Amino acid sequence: MIRSALLIAKKDLYSELKTKQVLATMIIFAGLVILVFSFAFDPANNTTKAVIPGVIWVIIVFSGILGLNRSFISEQRNDTMQGLMIAPMDASSIFLGKFLANFSMMLVVELVSLPFLFLLFDFQMYGGFGYLILVLMIGSFGFISIGTFLAALAANSKSSEMLLPLLLFPVTSPILIGAVQATKIILTNIEKLSSAMAWIQLISAYDVIFFVLCFILIENVLEV
Amino acid sequence: MNFVYGAYSVIWLIIFGYMMILGRRQTKLKKELEFLKHLDR
Amino acid sequence: MSANLEREKGALSSSEPVAEKGILVPKILFGATVISILASIYLIFIYSSIEKTMGVVQKIFYYHVASAWCTFLAFFVTFIFSILFLAKRKRIFDTYAYVSAEIGVVFTTIVLTTGPIWAKSSWNTWWAWEPRLTTTLILWFIYMAYIMIRQMDGVWDKKARLASVFGIIGFIDVPIVFFAIRWWQSKFHPIVFGNGPSQKGGGIEPDMLVALLVSITALTLLYSYLLQKGVTLENMRIKVTQYKEKLREDLEN
Repeated sequence: MIRSALLIAKKDLYSELKTKQVLATMIIFAGLVILVFSFAFDPANNTTKAVIPGVIWVIIVFSGILGLNRSFISEQRNDTMQGLMIAPMDASSIFLGKFLANFSMMLVVELVSLPFLFLLFDFQMYGGFGYLILVLMIGSFGFISIGTFLAALAANSKSSEMLLPLLLFPVTSPILIGAVQATKIILTNIEKLSSAMAWIQLISAYDVIFFVLCFILIENVLEV
Repeated sequence: MNFVYGAYSVIWLIIFGYMMILGRRQTKLKKELEFLKHLDR
Repeated sequence: MSANLEREKGALSSSEPVAEKGILVPKILFGATVISILASIYLIFIYSSIEKTMGVVQKIFYYHVASAWCTFLAFFVTFIFSILFLAKRKRIFDTYAYVSAEIGVVFTTIVLTTGPIWAKSSWNTWWAWEPRLTTTLILWFIYMAYIMIRQMDGVWDKKARLASVFGIIGFIDVPIVFFAIRWWQSKFHPIVFGNGPSQKGGGIEPDMLVALLVSITALTLLYSYLLQKGVTLENMRIKVTQYKEKLREDLEN
């Protein structure tokens, strides 16, 4: 199962590397979000520092949605989705492969856009760098895993680009609350690390529950 | 007291609105059924 | 489309006598609903005493809590029937899940409108980001999304499958959402705005309890009446579609 999942992830990433269409869109979009936020909140103002944790997650969520939308729609053009579903492997390995591809694209976007954000807003980090990475990792993990699942679900609709955000945002609200709070604590007052850790535990619990749930239920979504 | 009246009227408005929607659906279906039966003959 | 409808054409003729026999149940349910609602209104406005601190406004509480209970019940029914549908693949389970979710959204709307009215009168703001209210709002969004899935175009069994999956995901999400929001609030806004709508706790008078229980019963009866009615309607719609399909085939031949 792992091998076929890796195969699918490799296929997706390889075709992405050929065109660089989705990745470029995601990164440019992230840059635009930063630009819009610099208009909305004056970067010279000190109170702007308070919104940085929120901005980080807005970037991740909105550029993540762009990538997730494409991940199953792109399979429809030549009806390759049928091919994947008929191929001798589990639906769960399709899910896992798509998840790995989306997750690694998300990480690339974060890697490019977040340093830019800190640079452009002239943000001084007080907290631990490692903890920030941890929060980003588990937050994106949960968001992308449930997002991949719901993208597979929404892909059956003709207007899936409109449907996916409606499905995804309410369901992922615990992750968004937890991740923004944890990021805020880590970036602004690291002394309260224990409460950040509590949020991290909440997000991890969510990740585990929903990852397992998606694994069980994906069979019913990807049915020929 | 005004708040109580407001709340209860909103509650009944929503419930009756929903029931009216159900009723409208029913009449529409009935009409459709009549039409189909007419066609069938 | 046609292939799917053909498969269940056998049910078309056999479902006729069932409808004749089942006419008694909705009548009884309707009567019971009307009687219990009238009783609950009597108990709320005349029988039960006026609360000391909040005054007459507290009377919103009975229907607010009762509809919150119905919301939970409706979505729980959706959850159960979604699992049943995925296991058994019978269309009736799907119909129940859908109708129940729709009624649940109606009751959630009631909770969401009475909540702010209550808040305005006792905390003097229309909306507080209080855990229960916020969770209810997210619940409303989740089940609106569920209804959006139902509005998709396509064959019924695909829609039913996807909606059942989302019904399960959404229901499991609810306690986590509530927990996250409560945590968020307690950490960053330690001041609690008086008593929450359903935070009555121990100090409830016996006559208030009677009124509350009767209102809960009344709204539960209303829920089951609406559920029954909605399922009948859905079945009728299915029958009409089958009939259409049959006519279309007759025309073709």
